[in-house]
Amino acid sequence: MNMTQQISEAVRPHDWPGLADPVHDSQRLFRQLLGAMSEPGTLTELALPALPAGAAISPAAWGALLALCDLDTRVWVDQGLARANLAAALAFHTGARLTDDPALADFALVTPDTLSREDGFALGSDAWPDRSTTLIVMVEALAQGEDWWLSGPGVPGRRGLALGSAERALPLMRVLAANRGRFPRGLDAFISSGMRLTAIARSTRLAGPGLAATDDAERQEESA
Amino acid sequence: MYVAVKGGEKAIANAHRWMADRRRGERDQRELEVSQIQQQLGLAVDRVMAEASLYDPELAALALKQASGDTVEAVFLLRAYRTTLPRLAETLPVDTGAMRIERRISATFKDVPGGQVLGPTYDYTHRLLDFMLLAGEEAETTTAAPQGAEEGLEACPQILDCLNHEGLIEQEQDDGSEPYDITRDPPDFPVDRATRLQMLARGDEGYLLALGYSTQRGYGRNHPFAGEIRQGAVEVEIEVEGFDEPVCVGEIAMSECQMINQFAGSGDTAPQFTRGYGLAFGRNERKTMAMALVDRALRAEELGEPIQSPAQQAEFVLAHADSVEASGFVSHLKLPHYVDFQSELELIRRLRREHAERTAATAEAVSDTQGAGTRPAPGEGDSTRSEKAQTANAQAKNVQENVR
Amino acid sequence: MNTASNAQGVGAGAPTNAIDSGYNFAYLDEQTKRMIRRALLKAVAIPGYQVPFGGREMPMPYGWGTGGMQLTASVLGADDTLKVIDQGADDTTNAVSIRAFFERVAGVETTTATAQASVIQTRHRIPEKTLRADQILIFQVPIPEPLRFIEPSEEETRVMHALEEYGVMHVKLYEDIAHHGHIATTYAYPVKVDGRYVMDPSPIPKFDNPKLHMSEALMLFGAGREKRLYAIPPHTRVESLDFEDHPFEIQAWDEPCAICGATDSYLDEVIIDDQGARMFVCSDTDYCNSRSEEKA
Repeated sequence: MNMTQQISEAVRPHDWPGLADPVHDSQRLFRQLLGAMSEPGTLTELALPALPAGAAISPAAWGALLALCDLDTRVWVDQGLARANLAAALAFHTGARLTDDPALADFALVTPDTLSREDGFALGSDAWPDRSTTLIVMVEALAQGEDWWLSGPGVPGRRGLALGSAERALPLMRVLAANRGRFPRGLDAFISSGMRLTAIARSTRLAGPGLAATDDAERQEESA
Repeated sequence: MYVAVKGGEKAIANAHRWMADRRRGERDQRELEVSQIQQQLGLAVDRVMAEASLYDPELAALALKQASGDTVEAVFLLRAYRTTLPRLAETLPVDTGAMRIERRISATFKDVPGGQVLGPTYDYTHRLLDFMLLAGEEAETTTAAPQGAEEGLEACPQILDCLNHEGLIEQEQDDGSEPYDITRDPPDFPVDRATRLQMLARGDEGYLLALGYSTQRGYGRNHPFAGEIRQGAVEVEIEVEGFDEPVCVGEIAMSECQMINQFAGSGDTAPQFTRGYGLAFGRNERKTMAMALVDRALRAEELGEPIQSPAQQAEFVLAHADSVEASGFVSHLKLPHYVDFQSELELIRRLRREHAERTAATAEAVSDTQGAGTRPAPGEGDSTRSEKAQTANAQAKNVQENVR
Repeated sequence: MNTASNAQGVGAGAPTNAIDSGYNFAYLDEQTKRMIRRALLKAVAIPGYQVPFGGREMPMPYGWGTGGMQLTASVLGADDTLKVIDQGADDTTNAVSIRAFFERVAGVETTTATAQASVIQTRHRIPEKTLRADQILIFQVPIPEPLRFIEPSEEETRVMHALEEYGVMHVKLYEDIAHHGHIATTYAYPVKVDGRYVMDPSPIPKFDNPKLHMSEALMLFGAGREKRLYAIPPHTRVESLDFEDHPFEIQAWDEPCAICGATDSYLDEVIIDDQGARMFVCSDTDYCNSRSEEKA
């Protein structure tokens, strides 16, 4: 057992920060999340206290969970991210239940790499596209950039993002780019690094290295 | 004049004061106490609790007082209050078979195990106004306590269970699935029976009565018999951590109606009786009977019966059953709509102007041609219109194909 | 990046000036708000799609703005400034009543000035003044389903949306043209959002439809009785349905506003005597007032 794991075992649920003022803090966090999903590719900083040592998720992801989860939500967690007693902390602070079945998850805590292994998340149906999993993704870095280009609703013209290594981000962007072909079914994603967060909605058209250009994206390019 | 169409805060405040004054009535009258309503207008209280989906006789009585006796308004008040209550626990299903019976009748058997118990009912009263009540003098009957009122009767078996032994009536099976909760999630049509029963249970009594009645008059007839109607008190239990047995948190009054309906059967299943079910808070016998009739009518599809009548059309019946929704949407017509009306005014003036121009042009043409001794063939206008419509349909079809 | 020790913004003494302390901030309990918030996130991700939500009874009747109110309650924060309009006016009775409700249960600042509001709840109008990126417009919606009057069954219309089967809507509009020579829909005029969903923009006059297209502000729609909510994110294509030979057009008036002289705003007709004499004035009272003040 290595050092990190020893620390993790010792972390108690209440060592994870909760919201000091649940009513107003969750409202503020929600407005940031709503702004992010409404304008994909814009960056926002979620102010949150430090997470306990050994935590493998970002403070921004934790903030999103605190704002959105409760007894009525089920969360799927990539095993690599379930450090520092995360599951117990999530249950303690929100009452959310964990699920092993990605198809039942309202939210899924993942990395881009998770998505090259796991493809069972709920996409919703054409009749009920809202019955889908929302991804909360940890990436190594998040900034404006020129690796990935977003267009569509919420984006005037186009917006560029960089998520660290383009190669390592590719499984995530492939999954999100596939949304166009199956719309309105699809996955929406909050993407986070540290306290920084952005969103890519299923309505977003994506272009970047390794992504097939869709007719739709081309048309957007032309009109932009 | 412009300002006069706007209300403003003063007008609202005054309207509220005026309504409160009306509600109070003449000041030389004693003010009605909530406890009096709760005790002496119990059936009104029960109806409000049932349709508000909240069991609280005192608050239901308060709602009736505040609403000047307007049941629909009282239901709305209690429903709005219900929204603000936290969900503390989920109760176990109540066992109506273990009900402490106050009234229990069956129309399908002369006598039944446990006996027919008439209980408190208006059923066999002669509907003669009792002028003693008008005089404020209690009738003789109220001075002597009724038999059985104190102790309540023993629990007794459900009559329909007796038919079960022979397999004559369909069995209700609990498949163990978690029922949908209409107070937390919107119903997505088509809904299952558990959801439907929830919607009917809070449905407006008058509406269900009319629909149930319509099935008796042939619009979705299903040959009902009142298998059993029971009223009484049931225990409400919850599971508490650390206790092996469920914990009883109180007792509520309930009414239940089990209708027995004509049998269905097919090649696979032997003919058997089917059921319609009604359940409500408090003493709400009429409501539960109507509910059972409508429940049975809505089972048409499940039982392979033709769907031909209003009471059998699930989405129609269920989407319009809630008095809070219905009265809200009807009453919203009182809100200003002058912006939309302005849009309509603008259009209708334009259409009339164009119509007048067309008429004038036709008249001119007629007077021109009359000089030449010919008249337009009758119905010419019609044929142009139908040609136009045909072009329109053709174009619309193109559009439709483009959309696909 | 991970400068995580900073707890700024969390629990930093949020103003709790809610007046009616018997109820939670903005009336709804937190669990209900979260349910609505989760639904709102889906709504912006699927523009124009009607997301079902567990609508609650509000202390106002259904049909009087309960959907808009539930959305406002879920979105509103203590530092927001709220504006409420009905028919474009801040002083219509229902707008007054809803504004008073949020003053009472949330203690938020309210305003009648469009430019000063961060959240605007509206019934039947979009303000004339162009909305900004830091503003949210929340519509009250009576019947969210644009296909409802063609197909009354929810089961059917759900399939029609799923299959993008909107031909019937065009047929209906074209029947109008055949019958009247014009599309006879003057308000709640259907739109197509981002080329996919046909959506009811609520009963705004079609005059307001162009304001939905590529708006800077987020637009949220709430139908309480029907328990549906939907959204148009900023910078989203919103096209009013029309035909090549009958393009979409908006209402126009022959005269300017009798009070402020505006020629670019939606006008209400006011009858000023019993002989039927009329005058036309802006329906957007804030727009009219601010123009009049500028002139003075």
